[in-house]
Amino acid sequence: MTPREKMFHDALRIRLVEERIIELYPSDKIQSPVHLSIGQEHHIVALCAALKKNDPIYGTYRSHAPYLAKGGDMKRMFCELYGKAGGNGRGKAGSMHLCDRDLSLMASSAVVASPFPHAVGAAYAAKLGKKNQIVVSISGDGSTEEGTFAECLNFVALKKLPVLFFIENNGLSIHTPIKARQSYALGKVCAAYGVEYWKAEDGFDMETVRAKVASTRKRMIAGSGAAVFEVMTCRYKVHVGVAEDGDLDYHDKDSDEKWRRRDPLILERELVTKFQPRIMKEIDEAVAFAEKDVFPGASELMKDIY
Amino acid sequence: MSLITYREALAGSMRDALKTNPKSLVYGLCVTDHTGIFGTTLGLEKEFGPERVFDTPLSEDAMTGFAVGAALGGLYPIHIHIRNDFMMLAMNQLVNSAAKYKYMSGGSFQVPMMVRGVIGRSWGQGAQHSQSLQSLFAHIPGLTVIMPSSARRVKDGYAHAVNKYKSPVISLEHRLLYDYVFEPDDAAPLKDPFTSYLVQKGADVTIVATSIMVQESQRAARFLKETAGIGVEIIDLNCLTHPDVAMILKSVKKTGRLLVADTGWSSYGVCAEVCRMVAVSDPAALKAPVELISMAKTPCPTTHALEKHYYPDMGTIAAAVYRLVHGAKKHKLPLPTEEYKRKFYKSFKGPF
Repeated sequence: MTPREKMFHDALRIRLVEERIIELYPSDKIQSPVHLSIGQEHHIVALCAALKKNDPIYGTYRSHAPYLAKGGDMKRMFCELYGKAGGNGRGKAGSMHLCDRDLSLMASSAVVASPFPHAVGAAYAAKLGKKNQIVVSISGDGSTEEGTFAECLNFVALKKLPVLFFIENNGLSIHTPIKARQSYALGKVCAAYGVEYWKAEDGFDMETVRAKVASTRKRMIAGSGAAVFEVMTCRYKVHVGVAEDGDLDYHDKDSDEKWRRRDPLILERELVTKFQPRIMKEIDEAVAFAEKDVFPGASELMKDIY
Repeated sequence: MSLITYREALAGSMRDALKTNPKSLVYGLCVTDHTGIFGTTLGLEKEFGPERVFDTPLSEDAMTGFAVGAALGGLYPIHIHIRNDFMMLAMNQLVNSAAKYKYMSGGSFQVPMMVRGVIGRSWGQGAQHSQSLQSLFAHIPGLTVIMPSSARRVKDGYAHAVNKYKSPVISLEHRLLYDYVFEPDDAAPLKDPFTSYLVQKGADVTIVATSIMVQESQRAARFLKETAGIGVEIIDLNCLTHPDVAMILKSVKKTGRLLVADTGWSSYGVCAEVCRMVAVSDPAALKAPVELISMAKTPCPTTHALEKHYYPDMGTIAAAVYRLVHGAKKHKLPLPTEEYKRKFYKSFKGPF
């Protein structure tokens, strides 16, 4: 498998998992709000392909893609979605707080922008401990509107911390378009703080994103400080749930259509055919595993509070 | 043996933290300046270096999230606020992240960290510089809230937090305690420092108190013993989130009379919570309605003319104890005179 094929495979795996979630959702077996990554898998896979296993990721509720891309176990993920004891969070995480300690996948946050300073603190620990890590936060375009983003840009610049703020710009905060929300150009904001900014106009271009993250990672390990990457992408589904975004008024249907017409996971049928059977088998097994797993007992309720 | 002030205990605890736990950080606004958080962090930057001891931008929100991330990265952050009022800027990180990280990861991650916040009462600090916001924090499962009332409680509590405890701890320090002088006590702690303590025994009235109100209660108790022969039992709640409920219930069963003295507001606060403990477990133990000593339910005024009505003192406690013992009926028992009180209350010299 070429590196690009590997990324394609991983992106397809995320899409097929989420399509299975869509199928399962009406059964009410997954009683957890889901924020699907469909349409946004490619750049996440590219990001993770350039990271090392121990580079921590601090993400948000749109968590399935980073979880799977970093190598998260699919069985445990479905258990968590089902609210079963075998889930990563033993049923206390659901879709929004997926994590895997062994993969440095930190518990994702349902409160936008909260993980920014977590990544900053973890990067401080990495730098102090000479761990040769970079720390990544993944968030949407709305997150840069929160005050903590400015506070974090200032601090990472002040202390030259190895943090990559990876911004997925799908143009929507829930239903509100970016033009109704932002007065600023993100690149200029970063420049004001002296933080490197890079924009990927095409989130589907996995190789460009991967190569850029890889070179930036190297530079950060050498001590050059933080960066903000903004990746242009398209959310095919609603903010939360499994419905189509394009069916609703707030969505720019033309733009949506343009993205779909170029989507490698739709276009490259040969690769899809090649990888799909094995992935479907894995999904079948993971879902069957979750179906059979037990729910946490009542004693779990009061565990792990302090 | 020389006496030790609360301030010296805090300074010693910060130094011990950096010495005994190589992962610890001490940071916050004014940590490395010439004031050093009212003298509790002076010299630490020089001794332990600017990577472990540092001042911060005015970014309470991010600097609190920074603590969560640093803790997840293996460090032990101690974040200090010269006023706990400023912690309101950090509530998202405290409530939504620090308090919940362990739970929502099914125990995969822990967030060992400490936040010190000073209750700034004194000399016209007013509405936004003198609040006691412990109840807001203590309400949240996952946060451990302590209010050390003495040098010893500081020493034991902070050593426990820094070296053993694995969850986020919020410590609220009353500014007026800083200059209080205590007997040094080097005996090993008898128990888990994050619970309640019996301060003194007494047969007639139980006082459950927090922070500086423990000291006020001791003053009132001495006065009541000397002048009216009333025996007051005092329990220092100390750890608001993990109180020794059995100790409180046992005491109330013995005395039948309960007074709760807290530095915050009573409604939905510590006073209400201690009443809840008794009401749900042993309401019949009470021989008289509970007395509550707390701040007047208003923002704190600035002028001394109003401030003196806002803050209770040992006289307020003594009067409440008389009501508990003698009911609302008239009695000729004395209250502490202004002259008597002056022995205890040194007037605070500003500016702050």
